[in-house]
Amino acid sequence: MIDDPHTHPCDEHSDNLAELALGILTGRERAATLVHVDSCTRCAEELEQLSRVADAVVTIAPGVEPPVGFEVRLFSRMGLAEAAPPVTSIASARRRPKGFRWLSASPRWTLAAAAVVIALVLGLSLGWSTGSGRGGTTPGGREVATAALLHAGTKVGRVSTYGGSNPWMTVTLTGSSTDGTVTCEVITSDGVTHKVGSFDAKGGYGAWGAHLWVAPQDVRKAEVVSSNGKVIATALLS
Amino acid sequence: MVDSGSTDEALLAGMAVGDQAAAVVFVRRYQRRVFGLAYSMTSDASVSEEVAQEALIRVWRHAPVFDHRRGSVTSWVLTITRNLTIDALRMRRAVPTDPDDFAATAMMSLEHNPEDAVLRGDISDTVRSALSELPPEQRRAVVLAAVYGRTALEVSEQEAIPLGTAKTRIRTGLIRLRAAVERVRETEEER
Repeated sequence: MIDDPHTHPCDEHSDNLAELALGILTGRERAATLVHVDSCTRCAEELEQLSRVADAVVTIAPGVEPPVGFEVRLFSRMGLAEAAPPVTSIASARRRPKGFRWLSASPRWTLAAAAVVIALVLGLSLGWSTGSGRGGTTPGGREVATAALLHAGTKVGRVSTYGGSNPWMTVTLTGSSTDGTVTCEVITSDGVTHKVGSFDAKGGYGAWGAHLWVAPQDVRKAEVVSSNGKVIATALLS
Repeated sequence: MVDSGSTDEALLAGMAVGDQAAAVVFVRRYQRRVFGLAYSMTSDASVSEEVAQEALIRVWRHAPVFDHRRGSVTSWVLTITRNLTIDALRMRRAVPTDPDDFAATAMMSLEHNPEDAVLRGDISDTVRSALSELPPEQRRAVVLAAVYGRTALEVSEQEAIPLGTAKTRIRTGLIRLRAAVERVRETEEER
C-alpha cells in the first residue's frame, strides 16, 4: 500500500479530537485516536486546549440558590452539623411582618425562599438538623425535625420545623401536581389539628416558611390540604 | 486555618485530611454552582437537590484524589455534578432541559453573582459569550455533547441529522469556542 503524499498523518485523527476532548468518543475510534495523540505533540497540545474548553462548558450554568434547608440537610448527611456555624446574618435580611408568603415556581424562588425564611426568623439562625425524624437538642438549643412530604408513598416535598424562642417551619412542594391555594396543618401529640397557614403552589411547586404557633416538639404530623379539603401530602415528624 | 478567603485548592487539601471547617467553607462556596448546574439540566428542584447533595458528599470523600494537574477544582466539582445529573436523568427516564434552554439560561446569566465570577474565572465567561455567537445548530450540538454527554450518534438521532453532520457540528462548535478562548488569552498577554 502506498501512502497518499497529500495526507498528513494527523488528518485521520484530528477530526476526532473534539469528541475525545468531550469524552464522547468510543470504541475503535477512541483507541486509535489515543494511540496517535500519544505519539503526536501537535495533536496532544490541541487535545489539551480542546479539553480545557470542553470542561469549561459545564461551568457556564448559573448558580441557583438551593431550596430552604439544603445546607442543614447536607451538613447533617456529612456529619458536619457540629462544625457548621449557623448563618446568622445576611445584609439584605429585613424584618417582615409575621405571616405567610408563597414563592413562585421559577429558579428565583429559591433565593426568595431564603430571604423569606431569613426574614421570618428575624435574624435567628437556620438551625441544625439531625436528619429525618425528630432532631435532638442543637448547639443553639433549638429542636429540629425534618421529614419528607409523601403522597401515595411518593416524595413530593419536605417539611422542617425549627424551635428556639421563635419557632418556625418550612414547607417545600417540589413534585406534586398541585395548583392553587393550599393549606398547611400540623397535628400535635394531643391529636389536635392546627391550621398554620395557606400558600399558593404553581405547577406542583412552591416553597413557604412561617412562624409556628405550637411547640415544634409537639408536632407529630404535617399535612398539605387542597382547597377542597383533600389531603395532598403528609409528613410524619415523629 | 482555613477561612472564606482560602483558595479552592487549600480547602480541598484541608478536606483531604478531614478538616471539617474546610468542608463547611467549601460547601458554602459551591452549593449554588452545584445546585445551579443540576437545576439547569433538569428543571427539577427535587432531583437537583439530591444530585447536588450527593455531588458535594463525593467531593468531600474524594478530596484526597483530586489532581490539580488535570484541571481546575471548579471543573472537577461540576463534572462530578454533571455525571450524577446524567445518571439521575437516565434512572428516572426523565426529560432533560432542552439544550437551547440550558444555553439561554447560561447566556442570560451574564449579570451573575460576583462570587461566581471569581469561581468561574475568565474562561467560563468567554465560553459563555462565544457560545452565544455560535450558529444555533452548533450550539445545541456542543451543549448536548459537553453537558449532557451525548455521543455524536446520539446527537444525530436526537437532531434527526446524519452522523457526519452531527460530528461536524460538534467539532466545529468546539473549535470555535477554543478560538474565542485563544483570542481572549492573546489579548490579555498583549496587555
